[in-house]
Amino acid sequence: MIKKKYNNINDFLEDASFKNWALQENGTDINFWEFWVAKNPEKKELVNKAKDLVLGISFDKQFISKDKVAFEWSKLEAKIQTKKTKPKRKLRFLKQFSVAASILLLVSIGFYFTNNNSKITHKTNYGEILNIKLQDGSDVTLNSNSSLSYYKNESRKIWLSGEAFFEVDKKTVTNAKFWVVTDDLSVEVYGTSFNVNTKKKKTDVFLEEGNIWLKLKNGTDKKMIPGNYISYSSDKNEILEDINVFNANLKTSWKNGSLLFENLSLEKAMEKIEESYGYSIIFEDEISKNTLITGAVPITNINICIKAIEKSVDVIINKKDNNLIISKK
Amino acid sequence: MDKLTDKYIWKSLKEGDLNAFSVLFESYYPKLHSYGLKISKNKAVTEDSLQDFFLYVYEHRENLSDLDTIAPYLFTSYKRFLLKVMKKNEKLKQTDFSIENFVDIQFTAEELMTNQETQRFKDKNISKLLNKLPKRQKEAIYLKYYSGLKATEISEIMNINYQSVVNTLHKAIKSLKEEISIIKLFN
Repeated sequence: MIKKKYNNINDFLEDASFKNWALQENGTDINFWEFWVAKNPEKKELVNKAKDLVLGISFDKQFISKDKVAFEWSKLEAKIQTKKTKPKRKLRFLKQFSVAASILLLVSIGFYFTNNNSKITHKTNYGEILNIKLQDGSDVTLNSNSSLSYYKNESRKIWLSGEAFFEVDKKTVTNAKFWVVTDDLSVEVYGTSFNVNTKKKKTDVFLEEGNIWLKLKNGTDKKMIPGNYISYSSDKNEILEDINVFNANLKTSWKNGSLLFENLSLEKAMEKIEESYGYSIIFEDEISKNTLITGAVPITNINICIKAIEKSVDVIINKKDNNLIISKK
Repeated sequence: MDKLTDKYIWKSLKEGDLNAFSVLFESYYPKLHSYGLKISKNKAVTEDSLQDFFLYVYEHRENLSDLDTIAPYLFTSYKRFLLKVMKKNEKLKQTDFSIENFVDIQFTAEELMTNQETQRFKDKNISKLLNKLPKRQKEAIYLKYYSGLKATEISEIMNINYQSVVNTLHKAIKSLKEEISIIKLFN
């Protein structure tokens, strides 16, 4: 391979390892061609031409934004609600309204007492996901049963308990940092997107984009690069996991309302369901625990979620009080 | 598994579950919005008709048949729904208005991604080449590579059999490849 001469475009196109490089498909070929291109600068144009031919064309799908979809949904939901005239529905609507009103009252009392440097807290229940826009423009998606707080005059320092996904706006002018603080560590950020989960007495951080520094409770610093997933417990003073995750969706799909499993044991998958919905999980047999499950289930609708799991792994799930009881079919 | 979720979302919707309906709305609205824009070329018409369409689906949920996959049903009925609206708007101007002749998808240069390191693709106007293809071929390409649908689903939407979808796509890609001589088209 190394002795071969590459003089015209077909020499490249007929070379399987060249194709692998253009498509970034094989580690050895990638290394070889990076080296080859660097050593043969006079062939650069020819290489690029051949690369074009291999890569071809694809669509840059220009779908509308999530905000717009949410807006259109609220319009539709309002239409559906006004069409419903049953008294039962009205009552539910009133109930929601009264909850909203009392929260508003509480918030305004909070503002009244502490005014300028008040602490703002957002909290979610089981089966609820909340999108928050911070004052500095950063977006946070808060997972179920989680809370997030910050001081009004310092909105780039966030305390988190539970799970959240952050998309931090970079402040190019001031280069201001963004902090996320948990019981185990703090995350130091300039502008990037990442996931933090503090459920189960440890903190998991997954970095999707950009780079961040972790300052662990024990004083050590750790730099993360995209794809890194680190799990740390300050109780045990130990890094429990430090791996690379190639499919980011596995760690962040919850923010779009679904949990994604890929060859996960049912036991582990049910732990995730427990975190999201707050039910206790009871297995009636040992075999079901180890059945592998692959697929997506919704995070905000327990009934659909149960049905989907039942269908895909051949178990029966009974919802009783606050328990999900799993037995073999 | 995706299909499984589809099936249960659909079932829950039929039982009147508004949560399930919101899941359905969020996952299909962007794709139908894009499809509607391609057909009507008018944002207001697309968005108004989508509101009416989804409201129609919700109100008639009890009469809907059981589905394993939702995409073909939504794409087909929305297309029909939208064309009806457009027909009403155009009533006075046009007499010949059959569905087959009307859907003419146009691609813009911004929607196409190519390797930017050389001039090559900038000279050849790829979107123009795409737009010159027959209407049916363009629709098949759009549904397959833009909306991400499977050939079986496309065959339902375009009301042709599976083999015709495969042939149509093959023909379209072959003639494109002849024009621009590339190996890989659409990832």
